[in-house]
Amino acid sequence: MSDALSEAIPVLLVAAPILAATLPLVFGLRFDRAGWLFTTLTTSSLFVATVVLATVVYSEGTVIHQLGGYPRAYGIELVADRLSTTIALLVTGTSAGVLAYTRLGGPRGNTFYSGYLLLVGGLLGLTFTGDVFNMFVFLEITGLATYALIASGDGPESAVAGLKYLIVGTVGASLYLLGVGLLFMATGTLNMIELAEAIPQAQGGYENTLVRAAFAFVFVGFAIKVAQWPVHAWQPDAYQHAPDGVTPLVAALVSTVSAYALARVMYTVFTVDFLTQTPYAREIVITVGAVSVVAGSTLAVIQRDVKRMLAYSSVSQFGLVVAAYGLVTETALVGAVIHLVGHGIMKAGLFIAAGVIALGYGARTVDEYAGLAARRPVVAGGMAVLLIALIGIPPSVGFVGKWYIALGAVQAEVWSVAAVIFLSTMLTLAYSARLLEKMYFTPANWLEDPHAPDADVVATDGGSGPGLTRQSDRARPDAVSIGMLSIVVVAAVLAVALGFSGDLFYDWLEPFVSEVFN
Amino acid sequence: MTMAMSTSTSTSTSTIVTSTLTTLAETTTAMAPLTLTSTPLTTPSGTEIDALTMLYPPLVVFAAALLVLVLPRIVGFAVGALSLASVVAVALFAPDGVLLSGTFLAFEVQPFFLDDFSRLVALGLGFLGTFAVIYAYSSDASRVMTAFALAYVSSAIGAAFAGDWLTLVFMWELMAITSTLLVWHYGGDAVRAGYRYAIAHGIGGSLVLFAVTAHYAVEGTFLYGEPASISTGAGGIPLLLAVLGIGVNVAFVGFHTWIPDTYPRPHFAASVFLAAFTTKTSALILYRAVPEGGNTYLAYMGGLMAVYGVCFALLQHDMRALLSYHIQAQLGYMVAGIGIGTTIGVAGAMGHLFNNILYKSLLFMAVGIIIYRTGENDLYKLGGLWREMPITAIAFAIGALSITAVPGFSGFVSKGMVLDAASGYFGGPEHRALYWLLFIGAIGTFLSFIKLGYYAFLHGPADYEVKDAKSGQTVAMLSVGGACLVLGLPAIGWPVFTDLLPLIDGSGFAGPEGPETLDPYSTGHLMDAAILLAVSVVGFKIIRKPLSKLDLPDPAFALNPATFYVGRGSMLAVTETYRAVDAAAVGFVRRCYWVGNNPTIAVDRAARRLPDRFVRVEERHPANGGHPSRIHLRASIGLTILLVTVLLTIVVWLLV
Repeated sequence: MSDALSEAIPVLLVAAPILAATLPLVFGLRFDRAGWLFTTLTTSSLFVATVVLATVVYSEGTVIHQLGGYPRAYGIELVADRLSTTIALLVTGTSAGVLAYTRLGGPRGNTFYSGYLLLVGGLLGLTFTGDVFNMFVFLEITGLATYALIASGDGPESAVAGLKYLIVGTVGASLYLLGVGLLFMATGTLNMIELAEAIPQAQGGYENTLVRAAFAFVFVGFAIKVAQWPVHAWQPDAYQHAPDGVTPLVAALVSTVSAYALARVMYTVFTVDFLTQTPYAREIVITVGAVSVVAGSTLAVIQRDVKRMLAYSSVSQFGLVVAAYGLVTETALVGAVIHLVGHGIMKAGLFIAAGVIALGYGARTVDEYAGLAARRPVVAGGMAVLLIALIGIPPSVGFVGKWYIALGAVQAEVWSVAAVIFLSTMLTLAYSARLLEKMYFTPANWLEDPHAPDADVVATDGGSGPGLTRQSDRARPDAVSIGMLSIVVVAAVLAVALGFSGDLFYDWLEPFVSEVFN
Repeated sequence: MTMAMSTSTSTSTSTIVTSTLTTLAETTTAMAPLTLTSTPLTTPSGTEIDALTMLYPPLVVFAAALLVLVLPRIVGFAVGALSLASVVAVALFAPDGVLLSGTFLAFEVQPFFLDDFSRLVALGLGFLGTFAVIYAYSSDASRVMTAFALAYVSSAIGAAFAGDWLTLVFMWELMAITSTLLVWHYGGDAVRAGYRYAIAHGIGGSLVLFAVTAHYAVEGTFLYGEPASISTGAGGIPLLLAVLGIGVNVAFVGFHTWIPDTYPRPHFAASVFLAAFTTKTSALILYRAVPEGGNTYLAYMGGLMAVYGVCFALLQHDMRALLSYHIQAQLGYMVAGIGIGTTIGVAGAMGHLFNNILYKSLLFMAVGIIIYRTGENDLYKLGGLWREMPITAIAFAIGALSITAVPGFSGFVSKGMVLDAASGYFGGPEHRALYWLLFIGAIGTFLSFIKLGYYAFLHGPADYEVKDAKSGQTVAMLSVGGACLVLGLPAIGWPVFTDLLPLIDGSGFAGPEGPETLDPYSTGHLMDAAILLAVSVVGFKIIRKPLSKLDLPDPAFALNPATFYVGRGSMLAVTETYRAVDAAAVGFVRRCYWVGNNPTIAVDRAARRLPDRFVRVEERHPANGGHPSRIHLRASIGLTILLVTVLLTIVVWLLV
């Protein structure tokens, strides 16, 4: 493949979905269902293009595109290296896969699909950008598209959740922008690679107050975006009240790509030297991550709404990733990336499964999942496999990520993280086991009982179901399509299959990681 | 139709099972944990010797033990005696080296290893064992007891032939088990003593096991002396563990209580076996662990054992208890010789080991006949028996003269060698204090055997009208006694004996200052013996009266209750800790599970325990039939922004 063409792929990946976002609106004037079709076509081609890009990156190394041909000093670069390509694969693959649910599961309407494509474009831009200010722009595009998608739910809670994310998320992005401004003041550049060289040469080097403050702002900004405890409050509401078709996309990708961006800024811009030489830098990152792991899992254990429980589980899993960043060892970084990808796949599958169950079975709380396995064996089986993978029982991608992170913690001799990983596994086991037990071992007798005591719970649990209806009334078994079930199964199979690919992942990421650490 | 189907299914299942079993069996055969190969030896001596090495002697003896159970009594005992005679043949004629080697659990082992040391010990054990079986036959020993005794003998011979520590540990534990069974078989008092015996050997065996494991961890092999012994290889703690573990079996002072506790209690023929095998084999193993010697602590432990043993022997009036303490005292000479570690010391220790097997068992045989005929264990209730049982008296006299090292008997040669080693007679380091300890031990030996002989055979008229030894007993005693006498004879006897000893060629050996020649019947040695005898005879006159009134218990017996309470305490501590941990873990999991299922109630209860200042809990009145209502933990937008500010402040404050 010619260099020009391969260099153009990152641009295409970012620009195509943003441009395509207009198509559903335009064609929607004539065709009601044009949105899904265009989105499917776009995301599938994006996925294919990303795979091609990955082969190029594998054979020829990092692909760098300078937008408009302007040099690095004042132009904007898009960089496809092994790390960003990995995330891009996750983004395009997941966004194509989730469409299998939205076709019949909704939300419907062409505006939704415009927002969908805009979000994909923002995420890919965030993934490939090599410029810290440009990163802010894509952070905002991503954010705005997400606010819109979340607010597209039916009930008033969706609007409130969208507003909450809008305000809190914008504060986060603003903090990041402040950090970027401080960096620019200290160094006079915005390009990531130039920043990495310029920061040590700034006055005082790593001890420069501006640089350190910049790190603080950037980190807290991303902590909000990644939903770290205690600044996670937007996330459970957003995940729970977003339409069932939106939650998988948001949960699997938005925080994941933000977490990737944090790694990019920490390791490519600030570099390993900054992290190891600045007092408290590692400790802060580790502490925030570790506290999130414990708090997130504990909160997940006490939830009764399944989507909310999974949302808190994300707080905890991202805490693990952030803590792994703070360990600053090669193994832990690889583990963090694997866990990002694995968590994305598992959460997408779990939220799709939760959507399918809500749609076809009317169940939204843990109690309502009773007896599910007997009535909906496929989706319950898929969910069970994904939950077990999430706990980190081998063979599963959840195990591989946790294993490398734990190994990194041991190498770095940070025993607290090792202990936290163990504890989080126990707590994950606790909330997963609750659900598994309900699905497989609790009979659903009360369903036949018209005066079921739990009918009230449904009414008061604040689920997105419309008002005072019973679960059985909400169930629409015929609304569940083969596509929905198959995407759950695909996610479950992937979660297990990737569990055998730990070495593959390691070999793939090794060049990037060793470059970062040298 | 259904029937047919199910039948065919079961048939196919059973076929699968069968084929699986076959595969399993093949696999097992292929992976057999123990593979042994007999090393073909090309010696000019011919096929008879090859035949000797074909069979692993302990296995032969063990087979005899099984045969004793099923064959008619006389045939069974004959087979037992012959199997032990074959051990003598192997010891005398089989060539040196590793005669059987292989792998056990992927470890290299040499279960059949012959050098001068194992040859000498096996010779003694086989010879004595043969006559002990004959003795047992005419002493009304039951077949079961003799089977246990032969199994015990086979494991002891296995331990003597072992060429590696793994085989040794195996045989060592087997020896402990079989000897315990031998004790238990008698019932009555012997059962509880057997328990204490088993505990002592369990502890000792565990210590040895630890030491051997540590030795393997350092050297990577279990084989003796390759590349180093325990003392030069692992050293330190493993060496200490090994010496202490073996110390239980060789009756270090403080670890010896099991001997006088156990040996007087079982059948008197069982005592003959017990007295010979465990302790003597263990002395050989002590040498295997510390072949370099030069260990002053060990040497002085030997000296202490000699003195401690004879002192408490003197105080005993149970005949077998007296002899039991003498086992400790005699082992003292062996431990001292091994500890000194010079050529003469080690050779003397081994010679004394060999002699001890003979005369100590001979003494137990003689005493056994007294018990057999009179039913009396207490020395003070006997007397004047030499008129009633002259053969027994003669046998006893030979044994006593040997053990007291009177010139003309085998003990004189070997004990003299150990004393020479301590005094540095043939060069080498001089241990003056040790020499005197051993000398005092020798006096004590004289005194206690004068006492035993005096009260049993001489003192007063006989209260009993009893028969003398039975013919089988006589044969056994006189054969063993004859050996004691022949191997100590001046001029003709003792060179035969010294030639058997390791490290000594004929009567010459390599001393530290050039070649030396043994001369046990030198004037100096004879003078020493005369002094010993004179002092002892005079001494006995003096102490006889006070001694008979003195009854001092062995303070080391405090170990028995101590072991019991420590064992019980630690057992309780372990089980109670385990129970507590188990209960805590189960309780924790159960509580977590409950909290997970009832989060609201849990939070509510937790909140109630907090002071009202922090959390004000309002009485809940669930409207839905007791089902917990929701907890409101939602952070508002404003609170979230506040938390963001707080977090940012902390991070900036820490970093800048």
